[in-house]
Formats: sequence, C-alpha cells, structure tokens
Amino acid sequence: MKRFDCLKILASHLTDELAVVALGGLIDEWHRCRPGNKNLYLKAMGAVTPVAFGLSGALTHRKVISIDTDGSMLLNMGILATLGNERPKNLIVLILDNECYEVIGLAPTHTAKNVDLAKMAHGAGISNVATVRTLTDFEEKLKKALNSNELNFIVLKLEPGSEVFPEEERKRTNGEEDKYNFVRYIEDSEKVTIIPREVKSIRKIQTSYAWDK
Amino acid sequence: MREEMAEFVRDGLKEAGIDTIITLPDSRLKELYPLLASDSELRYIPVTNEGEGVAIAAGFWLGGKKPVMLMENSGFRVACEPLARLGLTHGIPVLMILSDVGVIGEGNWWGIAHGITMEPLLKAMRVPYIIVKHKNEVKDAIKRAKLHISTSLYHVAIILTGEITKKQ
Repeated sequence: MKRFDCLKILASHLTDELAVVALGGLIDEWHRCRPGNKNLYLKAMGAVTPVAFGLSGALTHRKVISIDTDGSMLLNMGILATLGNERPKNLIVLILDNECYEVIGLAPTHTAKNVDLAKMAHGAGISNVATVRTLTDFEEKLKKALNSNELNFIVLKLEPGSEVFPEEERKRTNGEEDKYNFVRYIEDSEKVTIIPREVKSIRKIQTSYAWDK
Repeated sequence: MREEMAEFVRDGLKEAGIDTIITLPDSRLKELYPLLASDSELRYIPVTNEGEGVAIAAGFWLGGKKPVMLMENSGFRVACEPLARLGLTHGIPVLMILSDVGVIGEGNWWGIAHGITMEPLLKAMRVPYIIVKHKNEVKDAIKRAKLHISTSLYHVAIILTGEITKKQ
C-alpha cells in the first residue's frame, strides 16, 4: 500500500476537517492532495499528535485529523496514554507506518521489528484501534472513523516510497507562513482572535499641548 | 506552597483569562493542582512528560484557547526540543509556569541541578521570563505573560518562587 494512494483517499473524504501534518515526503504529497489552509504542517517530530489533541480540545465541534508517522509517534509515546485517558471524541489519529526513516535512507524504525503501535494504543486505553494493509480496508475504516463520535486510531502499514513533484508544484511555504495561514483560517472560520491586532493607532486627536506656539 | 497562596494563584490564572491547564504535577506547587483540577471553569489535562505537554498547549492556543503549561523547572529541560521546534521554527507560543526547585536554600540535593540549569536554558532558548517572588506580582505577571505570547508569538515563562512557594 502506497502512502500517496492513501492520502488521495483521505483527501477525497474531507471537507472542513482540520489536519495536522507530520514531516517528511508526506508534505508535498498532502499539499497536492489537499491544498489550502485547513492543514497545519508541523516540523516537529513527536509533537504532531499532541498538537492535534490540543486543537481537538479547543475546537470540540470540529473534526481534527492527526496525520502522524511511526517515527514521530515513537519519539513521544506518552501521548498515547494521555489520549487513552482523555479520549477526545473529535480526533482521528492516522499513523503512516512505513517502518523506516525514509528520508534519511530507509533506516528501520522499531515498528519494522516487534513493535505494534496499534496494540500499544489499545493498551493505553484507546478503544477504536485498527491496522490496515489495503486501500479498501483503509477507506472503510476511515469512513467509519469520520462518522463516529469517538477517538479513533488507525495504523496504515505502508511500503516505503514518496512521489516526486516538479519543484514548482512542491509546497513552498515555510513554518512561519504555515502557522499564519492556519491561524488566519481558524480566526475566520471560528470568529475568534488568536493573534491580537496592534493597539489602535488612529485615536481621536486630543491634546492640551499647544503645538503651534 | 500555602493553601491561601495556591488559591491566589488560581484566581490570578482565571482573572487573566486562562481556561486550560496542562500539567505534570510537581512537589513545590502541589497544593495548586487539586484546586485547578476541581475547578469546573478550567479544563485540566495531566500529561506524561513536559515535551508532550507544551505541544498540547500549543494545539489549544492554535484553536483559540488560553492554555498554560504548569510544571517543575526540571520539566523545562524535557520540553526544550518541542519548544524549539514550535517557537523558533513556527512561531507557535506556549505560556509556562515553572516551580523554583534548586534556588539558593534548596534542601534537597537532587534539586540543585534544576536550579543550575533553569536560567541558562531559558536564556539559550531566548525565552523571556518573569521571576515572581512576591504575592503582589503574581496576577500582573500572569496577565502580561499571557498577552505577550500572542503578540511576540514566542514562549514566555513565569517562575514562582520566594513567598509564593514557601511552605510557612
């Protein structure tokens, strides 16, 4: 099962859902599948699912999808225990598990051997856990998760490999821009202020000082 | 920490508009945690390590909430990597409140390391911080720090020490 094919299926089922996206070859693929500001690209291994959980807690009426990876989840597994206790109803965690650190030369992650992230998630207290190995199975489990009102955790077992795009079709924004794009989208869609406007500078002109003398 | 001081800090957090508490509890602020956990106006989320905690706090901020990460100062060491990524790479800020383990007068030998590393690490991470020693500084510090993370788009730390954390 290829990651790009999974992402195409995922994007085809999304409307207003918020996505927090891990790093690696995944970025340009997701940018192709689902351009726009409802995605937060996060250059922070180990922080992807925690940030997605925070978002789901802040915006309980929105569905949040953590598009995380095996390497990133392995870096900070405590979040499984927190999720198992908190059980946010509007969060779906997808682990794109290619069993390796692909961009640095396919060095295996621990999931290539004995580690089963789905069983660990289940052991941590997450009830709706699945491992998928085919596109049909993924689409079925994804649809179920999108329609459910419970925390879902799906491990996608993938073969290594990334799509290559012409330079001009790759995501060109940096981490600051990605943050601003996402925050402005949240501010507009949720009618909230996250980054405050500057203090009002055009004030009623009123002074007791006689400037003209 | 005395009970009345814990109540004062809780009130300061609420008056500043803090609505979400992410925490890995520590001994110096232990009287504060039950007060926050039992307050129906606050969302209280215990975590497994401080690196996870600051990332969760960042997520709440991105969703328009006003979170704070409450932890022992040793937790700042744990949190440095996600804080660097969130703050320096993305400009996604986290407000932190740290206890003061290891300051001069520390009774626990194991706490000395926390005091040695706290301020140099805060400086290395370019995190502005307020050291709060007196009761009359608490509410102003929380209010200013909460605003500052959203205008500077970078982390701010408040260190509670002196008469705030003393037992008697």
